[in-house]
Amino acid sequence: MTPLCRLDDIPDGSAVGALPDARGRDAVVLVRRGDRVFAWVNNCPHYDRAPLGWRKDAFLNGDGTRILCAAHGALFRIEDGICEIGPCLGQGLTPVSVIISEGTVCLAG
Amino acid sequence: MRIIGPDELVFGVDNILDCQAFLADYGLTENGPGCFEALDRTAIVLRDKDDPSLPPPLATATRLRETVWGVEDQATLDAIAADLSRDRDVVVEPTGRLRTVDDAGFRIAFQITRRVKLDLPPERINSPGAAPGRAANEIGADEDAAARPRTLSHIVYFVPDMDRMANFYIDRLGFVITDKFTNTGPFLRPQANDDHHVLFMIQTPDYMQGLEHLAFHMQGPTELMLAGSRMVKKGYESFWGPGRHKFGSNWFWYFNSPMGAHVEFDADMDKHDGDWTMREVPMSKEAAQLFLFENVAKWAPGGPPPGKG
Repeated sequence: MTPLCRLDDIPDGSAVGALPDARGRDAVVLVRRGDRVFAWVNNCPHYDRAPLGWRKDAFLNGDGTRILCAAHGALFRIEDGICEIGPCLGQGLTPVSVIISEGTVCLAG
Repeated sequence: MRIIGPDELVFGVDNILDCQAFLADYGLTENGPGCFEALDRTAIVLRDKDDPSLPPPLATATRLRETVWGVEDQATLDAIAADLSRDRDVVVEPTGRLRTVDDAGFRIAFQITRRVKLDLPPERINSPGAAPGRAANEIGADEDAAARPRTLSHIVYFVPDMDRMANFYIDRLGFVITDKFTNTGPFLRPQANDDHHVLFMIQTPDYMQGLEHLAFHMQGPTELMLAGSRMVKKGYESFWGPGRHKFGSNWFWYFNSPMGAHVEFDADMDKHDGDWTMREVPMSKEAAQLFLFENVAKWAPGGPPPGKG
């Protein structure tokens, strides 16, 4: 299991990036809702090289209810990754399987 | 018809503090609530998405609410009002600003330009065989250079019908096509601006209509690199660049933004006049840029291998 971060490192209701590549770009977006964490590949389905956020750990819309693509404003549901509005309407973010083990968020498997 | 270029872009957002921080770090200066200006006073205007002063939003994801075009004189405003009011509502505000809509449904406005004339030095370089760009002892690399955007350069829309959209700007507002990507869209410049483009458009499904990106001109490639590097260092997400485009020749570096649109630094764009003949090629990776780089962590060379010195 690859540890990504401590659950406590994600403020409830917020998102963080994890699993940085050699250039420092986070491969995974983690969004915390209470004791649950939703994990998505940090790339908009619109393009093959379109990171979602606009700044380190900045992935959500103004009221924190959707994942925002800071390229063209697409909004994705946090729980199932479905795009509700934007260039990739009806498509979805790619899920990442994670588990929380003793307070640490880890890649599953 | 003496249209110069985009004067202001007005956004309706749900995250205004994030947008304010982004635009300040990008190098614009806040002058009045939510108004972020370049050196020549062209501006990005931020409003809450529910602000009643805003035109209604498109039904898509874009947060751009209005594009304000700067014109040289009242005669141009009068000509635009006379022509466009034949087939659409044109509101003349007490300030003289015209507000209406284009043929794709984007809210547009026209005003006597807010631009002030700039008198600033270019990037100066030394090229063998040419007269030196800098005097002896004049240093080229200034880590502390301000690197402030000089002027709003261009905007790029996603549009459902590029021909209809382009024809509106050509037939009704006097723009001309400088170059074109077949099946993607044309680059357009208005009559009172010799920049290669102030407007480009990309054909998309109607549910994508909106702003693809906006760009401000920097002094030159060095200032562009400096400004972009500072954005990366502050944690902002680079999207594409730095690199140099073919059409327009402008250097580019695009970033994601909390306004939900790409925001570009550009520099050293081609100038054109009526003698130019339009080029047209299919869009491709090769056609989209001359070269492309990505920022990496800083590094320094040493002498011997680590631990051997």
